[in-house]
Amino acid sequence: MKNKITIALAGNANVGKSVIFNQLTGLHQHIGNWPGKTVERAEGTLYHGDYTIDVIDLPGIYSLSTFSMEEMISKEYIAKEKPDVVINVIDATTLERNLFFTLQLLELERPMVIALNQMDLVKKKGIAIDIERLQKFLGVPVVSVIATQGVGVHELVDESIKLAKKGYKKPKKMKYGKEIENEIEQILKPLNKIELDYPKRFIAIKLLEGDEEIKKMIESIDSKIIRIAESGAKKIQCIHGHARPTILACERYKVANDIVKECVVFETPKVTFSDKLHEITIHGVWGYLILISIVVSLFYLVFNFGNFFSDILINAFMGMTPAFEKIFGTGIASKLIWGVIEGLIAGITIILPYILPFYIILGLLEDSGYLSRIAFLMDNFMHKIGLHGKAFIPLMLGYGCHVPACLGCRIMETKRERLIAVFVTTLVPCAAVTTVILGLVGKYVGLTWAFLLYIVNLMIVFVLGRIAFKVLPGEPTELIMEMNSYRMPHLKTVAKQAWFRIKDFIYIAFPLIIACSFLIKVLDVTNLSVSIENLMKPITVDWLGLPAFSSIALLAGIPRKELTLIILATYGGTTNFAAILTPVQMIVFSLVTMLYIPCIATIAALVKEIGWKKALFITVFEIVFAIFVGGIVLRLLTL
Amino acid sequence: MPEKTIFLIDLREGQKGTIVSVLGGYGVVQRLTDMGLTPGTEFEMLRKGLLCPVEIFIRGSKLAIGRGVATKILVKAKK
Repeated sequence: MKNKITIALAGNANVGKSVIFNQLTGLHQHIGNWPGKTVERAEGTLYHGDYTIDVIDLPGIYSLSTFSMEEMISKEYIAKEKPDVVINVIDATTLERNLFFTLQLLELERPMVIALNQMDLVKKKGIAIDIERLQKFLGVPVVSVIATQGVGVHELVDESIKLAKKGYKKPKKMKYGKEIENEIEQILKPLNKIELDYPKRFIAIKLLEGDEEIKKMIESIDSKIIRIAESGAKKIQCIHGHARPTILACERYKVANDIVKECVVFETPKVTFSDKLHEITIHGVWGYLILISIVVSLFYLVFNFGNFFSDILINAFMGMTPAFEKIFGTGIASKLIWGVIEGLIAGITIILPYILPFYIILGLLEDSGYLSRIAFLMDNFMHKIGLHGKAFIPLMLGYGCHVPACLGCRIMETKRERLIAVFVTTLVPCAAVTTVILGLVGKYVGLTWAFLLYIVNLMIVFVLGRIAFKVLPGEPTELIMEMNSYRMPHLKTVAKQAWFRIKDFIYIAFPLIIACSFLIKVLDVTNLSVSIENLMKPITVDWLGLPAFSSIALLAGIPRKELTLIILATYGGTTNFAAILTPVQMIVFSLVTMLYIPCIATIAALVKEIGWKKALFITVFEIVFAIFVGGIVLRLLTL
Repeated sequence: MPEKTIFLIDLREGQKGTIVSVLGGYGVVQRLTDMGLTPGTEFEMLRKGLLCPVEIFIRGSKLAIGRGVATKILVKAKK
């Protein structure tokens, strides 16, 4: 007989949760969204002996307050869905901060196992932890784990199954100061009479803290309880002289600190290699030099490799044309089918050579901890456009592909910041645009001009970002970020992450690319393209100074921007662009391609993330803006 | 020597201090206290560049704190 249990993984950000999740569930994973929320929900299955175990990876958070969507989701999930076991993953090198969260998890009163991760680093840092004692203090099993090496992962599962079998046993209660326990007692009296999903003590504590969501929930049941809680909160505020959330946080940290004092011995702190690396990579001078050289070599590597590899792929695909024509002939039907195939090829030749390597390298940087150093270095700059340093991460993802980059903007804390981040991300040239810039301006006008286009783009991002920041009301959230130690990236986790990002692209983009490339073929065979060219003449020819056939190329860029180049060659009748375009035309064309519309897949991602109204606004704005800038640049260059 | 209350941003690199309180709305206060910046907690200013956030060592780990919010945290400086 098969037994089914559910395990939830919970813990701070960057403690190795996703590595443990990968170790547990291997290939049986499903990454989706929490219903109705733009927060990632990772779920996987593990088969262990007689057991089928469902593993849910909750978002990495520091607290169970209602500050962010992630925190609310985690809290609700554990309280309402009641997983059989919660595995709390803890970074053993920063025990105190992690225990603060553990104490809150314990208040949700689910069976819990603690995964004390990074035990290898603990030794290196000269810290000794008495696990037996820790176990006694917390009243739950503690397993020593080195997630990246798979050490202790089995024991975690065994302990979880043991707990699930035993059934629920109330964990040890963490005692706070007497005056607080008194107030909790007072609130519990009426609270115990009503039915709730959440544990009563948890609710009582949250009411004392002044948690808005919980307050609303209880208010609708019995407002008398709120009054008791409010007067209790006033009393403890008088005693402590601090605001109420601060008091409870103080109390929890006091308990955490006491536990650390009892269970941990800090020997003489050793300066590890990771510490030295940290010092130099956030240094005011060296840090920026390292950042610039890493970013430059990342682009150089990816686009050199990509160029080489995509040429091979394209040649291989194009080599199939004669065979294709032999089978399907050269009639209209054949042309239309070829349109579908072309869309497919365009997608593949951008993913495999460019986006995949880009995301693997970025994943390595992320998993090692370098991206948080970039966030640190770029914080001040990003503040100028109303965002904090972490927004630089989706912006960098945008240089690969806008679809996962837009989804990546979820790391921003407020809706307003997500909107600004998404907006500036769509302005950055993605890998497809880069192939156009390099293939046109880089090849025929010179690399300096291509480079200049990137600089112009950065300036545009900055100016438009700043305007968006001024227009949208609200103060930017400040950066408050833990600087975790550097660690060796875990290759399997990195590969998975890259795959999931690309999957976003494949699911959203591929069908749209193929449909659009089919549509363009239809325009072609029905000769509608001529009337479109005439229709767009005032813009393309008169305002932008481009040849008439460029309008079809620009339309073709709506599904995938790299198609602009292919169509340009088809309609110009040659791949030697110097014969059909002047250098100025090339620059204007590339600039317009860079800015004029988020491609169809990005629009779909935008709709998903910020709703169709805002997505439509951004799309229309960028089209108008690109045409405007293109015309201005033309006039400047031909002065 | 009496300790005086100053803002976190005014500490020198390498100087130690104690958190007194955080000025600001419910959200900021909650976030900072959740991250361990509770009144009475000792910490050390690790780094204070010109352009970057400040970096402090508190409760056994390193935290980066934006310069804006670092001007809203009241601390007592240790000699």
